[in-house]
Amino acid sequence: MTLRTSALVAGVLGLVLLVVGLIADSRRPDADVVASHRIDTPVAVLAPEIVGYEPLRRIAVEGDGEIVAHTARTADAEAWLATREATEITGLVTWEEVGVRAYVAPAPAVEPSPSPSPSASPEPSPAPSPSPSPEAEGEPEEPVDTSSTDHWRTTWHGQGRLAVFASAIPAGETFVIHTVNGGPLGTLELYAERDPNDAWITPLIVWGAILLIVGVVGLLYTLIDLRPWQRKGEEWLSRRSAKGEPKEGSRRARRLAGAQLPEVPLDPAPADAVPADPATAAPATTDQIPQADQKGGEK
Amino acid sequence: MNRKPALVALGIGIALVASGCVAPPPSPGPAPQMAREAALLDTQAAAVAADTFARLTEADAALDASLLGDRVAGDALTVRTAQYKVARSVSDAKPEVLPSEMQALYVSAESSWPRVLAGVSAQPGDNLTPVVSLWVQDDIASPYSLRAWAHMIPGASMPSMASDVTGAAQLSVTESSVAPTPQEAIEQYVEYLRAGKGSELAAAFAPDTYAERLFAGRDVLSTAASGAGGAYSDTIEADLENAYVMATADGGALVFAPLTVASAFSVSNAKVSVPAADQALVEGTLDATVTHHYRDLIVLYIPGPGTGGLPAVVAADHHLIKVTP
Repeated sequence: MTLRTSALVAGVLGLVLLVVGLIADSRRPDADVVASHRIDTPVAVLAPEIVGYEPLRRIAVEGDGEIVAHTARTADAEAWLATREATEITGLVTWEEVGVRAYVAPAPAVEPSPSPSPSASPEPSPAPSPSPSPEAEGEPEEPVDTSSTDHWRTTWHGQGRLAVFASAIPAGETFVIHTVNGGPLGTLELYAERDPNDAWITPLIVWGAILLIVGVVGLLYTLIDLRPWQRKGEEWLSRRSAKGEPKEGSRRARRLAGAQLPEVPLDPAPADAVPADPATAAPATTDQIPQADQKGGEK
Repeated sequence: MNRKPALVALGIGIALVASGCVAPPPSPGPAPQMAREAALLDTQAAAVAADTFARLTEADAALDASLLGDRVAGDALTVRTAQYKVARSVSDAKPEVLPSEMQALYVSAESSWPRVLAGVSAQPGDNLTPVVSLWVQDDIASPYSLRAWAHMIPGASMPSMASDVTGAAQLSVTESSVAPTPQEAIEQYVEYLRAGKGSELAAAFAPDTYAERLFAGRDVLSTAASGAGGAYSDTIEADLENAYVMATADGGALVFAPLTVASAFSVSNAKVSVPAADQALVEGTLDATVTHHYRDLIVLYIPGPGTGGLPAVVAADHHLIKVTP
């Protein structure tokens, strides 16, 4: 495989890598995502583990009227939520979908009572009497929070929209959002940050581009007839080599003169020399060996 | 060879690879530890105290207990209402001044209810000792309300309490980790008050001016009643249902115990009269007998095990709420 062929192969490979890299780059997932969910209850609650959820950056609610968010000790939030209809945020099902479920207050610890009271009331309880409700439809809903606020540790207010950074919520505290007018909360958004595994895309594009350049260079060598330029170059070299006689005493002159070649005397071999063919030769005597050595040393 | 399907497949494959670059959302981890586990942060406790004293200031100015709202309840509301009644009928009688500046607030670590909050005010003056206040929250829907207060006994000091990071544990009146138990201490102290300074129970408590003043008043009134051919008696009851106990840093207990004191004074062949300040609280028509009803608060410190020392009343107040025949 010639260098040019290798370059062409690299170019094709680079083109494929570049295309893959560019497509992947165009579909590169965003690091910041927003998952939203419509909350139909007046209250939403995020437990401490959700508030401390690693990808979560911000919690926002968009609804009607005044929206209030609080933090509280979990025990206090549970007690407050026990008499309210609420939606519990359980995290992110996918990066675009918020996990929710109806909030269920934890059952209180039951202490065994040694004296169960089996007494039934002997008095008949008054029969429930249906009474027409004087309230007309469409009347403003009853505000959710008319009770004490002593247990709320931190409070945020918003009109129509409320956004709270997760980092602003103290660790270990429960986060509660509710409307003041008691209506549905609205759209809850969780702003999250994820870590897409896209570190390979940029190197892929870079290496694809490099290989593609190599291939393009190889392709150019294939498409363009370079023989005229090659011939011109050879002629230039030959002209340069035939230009004038070398200077006397120069290395080139000495090389052309062969002065550096040693003179080697080519004496005829002596009559009693050892034959070249060992098979036909008589065994050498001991006094012949120094002669041969001696001749070799004269060279 | 048809290359179009191959290119489409390549594109889809690339898209799948690219879209698969994101891991699914992680599952939530365990709940992190709360930095401050007390029932109230110091800012919350300060806000409760500030709101209470703001209401008191407003109500004091108008001598109107209805302005106290839900920040003052229980014995504190009863006592304040009586003081407003007296102040409205006697020009120079002012409601007792409660300093709003707090030098310490002791918060509870309790997760259930009722919860308590105790405060020690700054010293209101040279001749007055700091006031110990008690707030109680009955349930999550109720605010912390001032239930009672008492001036500190001269020379007494409040015990060290748990920090506002963790809060102080609330103990039952039957808590057995302290000796005597809070209930026993309250009952023994009430028995001591009933029996007088000669009681052998006197040795079970550190001396305090509340008991001394009660005994002194008893002596004076008994003498006066005897001189008028009558009699004097007082009945003292502890209200254990409304007693609250907080653990101290040394393993002891700080007990807030309301007491009901009824002082009955009678004369023979005469009609008793009461001072003008008390006249406003008279219910009915006085004749030969008058009973002054008091609602008191004693704050009793029971030292922790091994620390030595006797249970001591560190704060107490004697509040007249009613006068009846």
